Amino acid sequence: MGQTLSVTGLSKLYKLYDSPRARLRALLTGRPTHRPHWALRDVSFSLDRGQCLAVIGDNGAGKSTLLKLIAGTLQPTAGTIERGGRGRVTAILELGAGFHPEFSGRDNLRFAGSLIGIADEEIARLEAEIIRFAELEESIDRPVKTYSSGMAMRLAFSLITAVEPDILIIDEALAVGDQHFQKKCVERIASFRRNGCTILFCSHSQYHIRQLCDAALWLDGGNPRLLGPTEMVLAGYEAHVRTLDARRAAPAAAAMTGAPKALEPGRRGAITSLTVTPLGEGEPPVLAGRDLTVSITASVSGDERPNFGVMIEQARGVGITVVATHIDGVTARRNDDGTWTATVTFPDLPLHSGEYVVSGYLADSLGMVIYDEWHQYGRFVYASPARLPGLVTLKHVWS
Amino acid sequence: MLRALNAEIAGLWRARGLLAIMARRELAARHAGSVLGVFWLYAQPLLTVAAYYLVFDVVFKLRLGESAPTRAMGAYLIVGMVPWLAFTESTGRGMMSLLEAGGLLQKNPLPPALFPARSLLTSAITYLPLMLLLVAAYTPMHRGSAALLLLPLLLLMMLVIWFLLAYALAILAAALRDVVQVVGFILSIGAFLSPVLFPPAMFPQGLAWVLWLNPMTPSVLGMQSLLLAGAAPGADVWLALAAWIILLAVVLDRLVLRSREQLVDWL
Repeated sequence: MGQTLSVTGLSKLYKLYDSPRARLRALLTGRPTHRPHWALRDVSFSLDRGQCLAVIGDNGAGKSTLLKLIAGTLQPTAGTIERGGRGRVTAILELGAGFHPEFSGRDNLRFAGSLIGIADEEIARLEAEIIRFAELEESIDRPVKTYSSGMAMRLAFSLITAVEPDILIIDEALAVGDQHFQKKCVERIASFRRNGCTILFCSHSQYHIRQLCDAALWLDGGNPRLLGPTEMVLAGYEAHVRTLDARRAAPAAAAMTGAPKALEPGRRGAITSLTVTPLGEGEPPVLAGRDLTVSITASVSGDERPNFGVMIEQARGVGITVVATHIDGVTARRNDDGTWTATVTFPDLPLHSGEYVVSGYLADSLGMVIYDEWHQYGRFVYASPARLPGLVTLKHVWS
Repeated sequence: MLRALNAEIAGLWRARGLLAIMARRELAARHAGSVLGVFWLYAQPLLTVAAYYLVFDVVFKLRLGESAPTRAMGAYLIVGMVPWLAFTESTGRGMMSLLEAGGLLQKNPLPPALFPARSLLTSAITYLPLMLLLVAAYTPMHRGSAALLLLPLLLLMMLVIWFLLAYALAILAAALRDVVQVVGFILSIGAFLSPVLFPPAMFPQGLAWVLWLNPMTPSVLGMQSLLLAGAAPGADVWLALAAWIILLAVVLDRLVLRSREQLVDWL
């Protein structure tokens, strides 16, 4: 078995020319007229079967360059990429491009399949399943120019994931179609992973990164900054982002939004209320008691039993805790009007004094797809009896 | 020797199945949405040829001088013009092929050589039947000369030149878009700098060498000699063909070597 993917000293140099004219001159004379820009420098890691690596970093950190190098659409300047086994690599980079608008969906399917290396006979065998997954049975024989962008993307995703790869590369592509289809996408990727597919995942969704990935690589200006277990790397990256935000002195409180939304057509679920109790006077209000109770209510289409998550953060600073129903193995309560409610109580709140914000999350029955989030919605001040510096009072034993 | 180019050719050979599919689709895309479909593909060049024949050989009965391989002006024009039209189409489309394939190349690990090769292949599929038709039509002029056996070799060398040129221009066009305009202009006036319209003997003595700067000159001379006179093309034709192949192969090898790492970013 061994390693599916082994990357050693991978570097990519972009030659920046001042003008296309300089580019042509360099091409004709062979004399270098460029400024060098290292988009990626000396990246090494190796992944076993079934491992999932998240690639995180600011914009321009080299994430997409790394993914494209491994996908093979870019050539490295230095370093090697070894793919073990059959080494089938599937890259979900940007979906839906490359379809010819005049041809039918079926026709495009066959052609796009041959482009990504699926043989004709195999496409013929998989065709029905691809169309079924994309939910395009009705419109597959119409020209692609009559499709909505969501339909084209569904077809592209369905095709590209029709053959199970050894290495799957995902670049911010989980936002495919409506929430219902997104859920199917996430489920399919999760099942690949269970079957031993190695995944490289680049996303700004920390939730999905935490759900899917067991390791993370943080790129900073093309250089590998930190490689290790997901939580460790994410914590380091979050601290870095916070420092940046503080330096930019952006008023973070502006993020406090969240008027209750009605369930729009096509939406799988939405939070309808989030309450923090017991609150007293003040702005923000003071927590009037030692026990914090957060209650979230949501409507979900159909009979799906949703999961809820609650996050508590310092008002300006670090996240403190996230709790979620599917992690704790509890189920939400069905109300008489069909909505769902989950209530969580933190007895004898072990926080020190300070200002805190509460976010609420609504997820699908597996806890994979986030249907709705009320980010930093509830806000309260807590006056702790503990008169010592610190953040939380941990459970402790003196001896 | 020509390592970069050899690697490209090897990659192209591995992807030959895909090349066939892409060429078929390109042809289908050209007449997608039209009622008569594939008919249009062959109708355009065929109608051009028919017009030349009617105007020059039937209506005006123009005659050429002693130096030409045939006296009939129309036949002379047609035999030169068909390969010339195929050449301008293959080169023009081939030059644009990489720029147009930018989206595909950025998302799929495909050999770039596929795209100029596809342009060449589609032009060949369009014009080859027409050339064979010409061979049949002009056989009575030389009563089926054995020299016609050289035609496949001539066509092969011609196609190699077209491919090398199209790929080289495609890379240059990726680096600098202006190349497309310049080459487009040259292609539109190039027929005047070739033996397509006039026999080389009609060119001013001091300027005859300019003809050989046109990569189509040896091919056109070879076609005229084979199809109209039934005579094997002279050594100058074969030498010029070989020289163009070597020159273009060396140039393309350099271009591939210098652009390989960054080509996709230019598209």
